[in-house]
Amino acid sequence: MKVTIHLWDLPHRLFHWLLAASVAAAYATAKVGGEWIDWHGRLGVFILGLLVFRIVWGFIGSTHSRFVTFFPTFSRVKAYVKGQWEGIGHNPLGALSVIGLLLTLGVQVGTGLFANDDIAFQGPLFNFVDKDDSDKLTGWHNSSINVLLGLIALHLVAIVYYRVAKKTNLVKPMLTGKKEIPRVLAEAISAHEATRAGVIRFALSLIISSTVAWGAAGGIAQLPQLTKITNPCCSVSWATAETSQPNQATPAASPQQTAQAPASF
Amino acid sequence: MKKKLTLAVLIAASATAAVAGPIEEQIRWRQSAYSFAAWNISKIKSQVVDHPETYNKDSVAAAANAIAAVANSGLGALYGEGTDHGIGWKETRLKPEFFQKKEEVTKVANTFNEASNELAKVAATGDIAAIKTQFGKVGESCKACHDLIRIKDQ
Ligand code: HEC
Ligand code: HEM
Repeated sequence: MKVTIHLWDLPHRLFHWLLAASVAAAYATAKVGGEWIDWHGRLGVFILGLLVFRIVWGFIGSTHSRFVTFFPTFSRVKAYVKGQWEGIGHNPLGALSVIGLLLTLGVQVGTGLFANDDIAFQGPLFNFVDKDDSDKLTGWHNSSINVLLGLIALHLVAIVYYRVAKKTNLVKPMLTGKKEIPRVLAEAISAHEATRAGVIRFALSLIISSTVAWGAAGGIAQLPQLTKITNPCCSVSWATAETSQPNQATPAASPQQTAQAPASF
Repeated sequence: MKKKLTLAVLIAASATAAVAGPIEEQIRWRQSAYSFAAWNISKIKSQVVDHPETYNKDSVAAAANAIAAVANSGLGALYGEGTDHGIGWKETRLKPEFFQKKEEVTKVANTFNEASNELAKVAATGDIAAIKTQFGKVGESCKACHDLIRIKDQ
């Protein structure tokens, strides 16, 4: 006897596929460069929003999205390795990979915000650090992509393995949200008691995540005490709100932005 | 006579030095040249991409000419034997493989030159959309060379 249960709620699934698509796009735009590097930055900030959303959802989302439900504690991993784990959402190894992916993506995005390409693009928080530090973070950005690619490969291999060796389709539930499981199992873990998160929690998560993304995209520079002056390329200086124009994301005071004719020397 | 010859040799030697220079000098010059190009890139980016409302035709044209001038200045002379090690303004980031990849390097360098010359041409017309497109191509050509011969931060 099988029953169909609700596993992944709609926000969780949207998060997942938007993340997959935008990480792929961020990768491609970074490799192409040129005009596309700006899109790389925008996609990166969007991914930051997605990650924050996922973290908030991990606390207030519906049952199977919550970290407490699947957090790979030592005892859970041990039980899983011995073949004694029973559950329906992420199994403990899958959960490890989920958390690894989220952390690595966090590093990727976090370093990207301060990175520069030495050509025509800087992350929106570039001006908050020295060029040397930005270069260092750019280096981490370049390195962590390899970790990320490794984890993504593992993730995909695991999906194929489950499909082929264990005859379990992991992709379908992530598309439809539904999963068929044996009734005994459903009763054993009382899946029917799973709570649904609802619109209000969804809206709350959305507000939090878009606020963070907005701040990282440069909104934070609008806070009066933090107004910065951008010097012609690459150097950084700080100024208080009085010396620069308040409430402007990018003060219009820098030589490269004031549209004067070339100076006369 | 012998004295004159020595003098001539000395002058010739120092002239070569002024063109190519000792290793550190070459590294410093090329780092300066690219930094100067990057400054001009940032001016165009700002006026054409990020804040088009600040666009000034003369300023952008001057920046594009500066980039083209850097591209056409014969930078190849600054990639002498042994310049994959040494400190200019800072430790060089030239990959040692540079010396085995001369053909590919010539290709990316030519692409950079052509793209920069084209940008200077387009910038003179004042057609922002066209400048933006060509500017993207120049950026790609910078990146192509960096991907090929510049050590990546890790
Ligand atoms: C022919 C290859 C080539 C092209 C084309 C090229 N670069 Fe570079 N660039 C290099 C190399 C090599 C270095 C490292 C120089 C060194 O450290 O000795 C470098 C270094 C730099 C640096 C760092 C300078 C420093 O202080 O260390 C900047 C900035 C830079 N390039 C920007 C650009 C920009 C902008 C363009 C396009 C307009 C460009 N480069 C085109 C090869 C190239
Ligand atoms: C998860 C999201 C991200 C992924 C997967 C990603 C991926 C990458 C990759 C693979 C590169 C190297 C490209 C190459 O080989 O030349 C790169 C470079 C870069 N990324 Fe990201 N990135 C992400 C987020 C961001 C963010 C949020 C920003 C800033 C807004 C950013 C800014 C940059 C910059 C400036 C570079 C150029 C570094 C260089 O030229 O050395 N990235 N990114």
